[in-house]
Amino acid sequence: LKGSQNRRRKWDIGKLIYMDNIPPRECLKRWRNEDVGDEEEEGSDIEQDEGEGFFKKNDGSFSKAHDYEGDLERFSPYFDKIEKLMEKWSSLDSLKDRFIGVPKPEDSK
Amino acid sequence: MSSRPSYVVFQGSQNFRLRIMLATLSGKAVKIEKIRSNDLNPGLKDYEVSFLRLMESVTNGSAIEISYTGTTVIYRPGIIVGGSVTHNCPMSKPVGYFVEPMLYLAPFSKRKFSIVFRGCTASHYDAGIEVIKWGLLPVLERFGVRECALHTLKRGSPPQGGGEVHLIVDSLIPQPITMHNLDRITIASIRGVAYSTRVSPSMVNRMIDAARKVLKPVNCEVNISADVWRGENSGKSPGWGITLVAATKKGWCVFAEDIGDAGDVPEDIGTKVAYQLLEEISISGAVGRNQLPLAIVYMIIGKEDIGRLRITRDQIDEKFIHLLRDIKSIFGSEIYLKPVDDDDTGDLIAMVKGVGFTNTSKKIA
Repeated sequence: LKGSQNRRRKWDIGKLIYMDNIPPRECLKRWRNEDVGDEEEEGSDIEQDEGEGFFKKNDGSFSKAHDYEGDLERFSPYFDKIEKLMEKWSSLDSLKDRFIGVPKPEDSK
Repeated sequence: MSSRPSYVVFQGSQNFRLRIMLATLSGKAVKIEKIRSNDLNPGLKDYEVSFLRLMESVTNGSAIEISYTGTTVIYRPGIIVGGSVTHNCPMSKPVGYFVEPMLYLAPFSKRKFSIVFRGCTASHYDAGIEVIKWGLLPVLERFGVRECALHTLKRGSPPQGGGEVHLIVDSLIPQPITMHNLDRITIASIRGVAYSTRVSPSMVNRMIDAARKVLKPVNCEVNISADVWRGENSGKSPGWGITLVAATKKGWCVFAEDIGDAGDVPEDIGTKVAYQLLEEISISGAVGRNQLPLAIVYMIIGKEDIGRLRITRDQIDEKFIHLLRDIKSIFGSEIYLKPVDDDDTGDLIAMVKGVGFTNTSKKIA
């Protein structure tokens, strides 16, 4: 959104979740710092207090067209395309610590 | 906002079942407006009406009003009574769609739940039978619901269906146990089922082989069984699918599932589900994404005590935010996310304070 110029660098997801005026997708974007399209990335406002007054009321969020990714009616979660998954898991190194019986690279537990 | 302050008002068709269930658990009336109001086919779908009918039959005193256009529903919950019911599911949704919400209600019922569901038993988007049996019931077990079972009497693949499953929940508990799980899952074994109805059993073996091939490098016990259904009990349509469950020693698990369509190659489905399982393991904190709503709701309706559950950053998605917002609208309680400080995984601990819900049909000592 172009409207939210005064964005903080670092968002507290615990607070973002309950800001009802921000649609969930926007919450996630802000939290993950994804929409770095505009130039408010000076870093000066990192520790600024949050305030809901910054944001324009976005009350159309619920009446929007169907949003299957955010709908709990759909049970199966989202997965990347199979090609991407195959590429990602062609090496299982990052998963090693999730299995019992596989020697760990170092004793991290 | 709302003209009638006595309702909790929601808009849109999303999270329909969740909202009805939360309303039932909390005893608060809800009004859901603008259900597909801009759609070519406005209003409730047949499966949603069917779900409301099911709710009516397992509760006593519920009042459901649906507007002429079907775009507004007012639901005033009664008490959960359970009992023996047979529910015929419409072909548009499989039995998993109806069984899943029952898991939220069944343990807090007056009488034991024993519901026979008839219809399709599999689809791409809803919970399959094995997923409920091996993925969701273990979550309930952590909250003190030990005696519940889902029996597959007949399988019925889409589109014709013809399946039949029997959900039995024998443990009636006053309230869920406060649960703490601060560990990431560490997988001890991988199990699975590949099933087929009215097709050659070789499809099943091909899926199993493909999945095993992908899972071989993880160096973990992999045990996938074949479940071939023939004759009377295999429904009206040919179909096949696979469910993989990765379980820890303590009984936590994550899972992945899919079914084959006409023209799919069994090897592809087996491979795909295996890779999805790996992905899901990597994403999961203490529970998988599919189990998260169930776990969070059970934590919310628990004792007035703090329960803790480890989640990963990837698990915070739109569904999760919708879930928490809906919970807040009905129960008024928020969960608190605290970063894990003893390692650098970036995971969070969801700290949930129960609302002190009690089963209305149970005496609390």
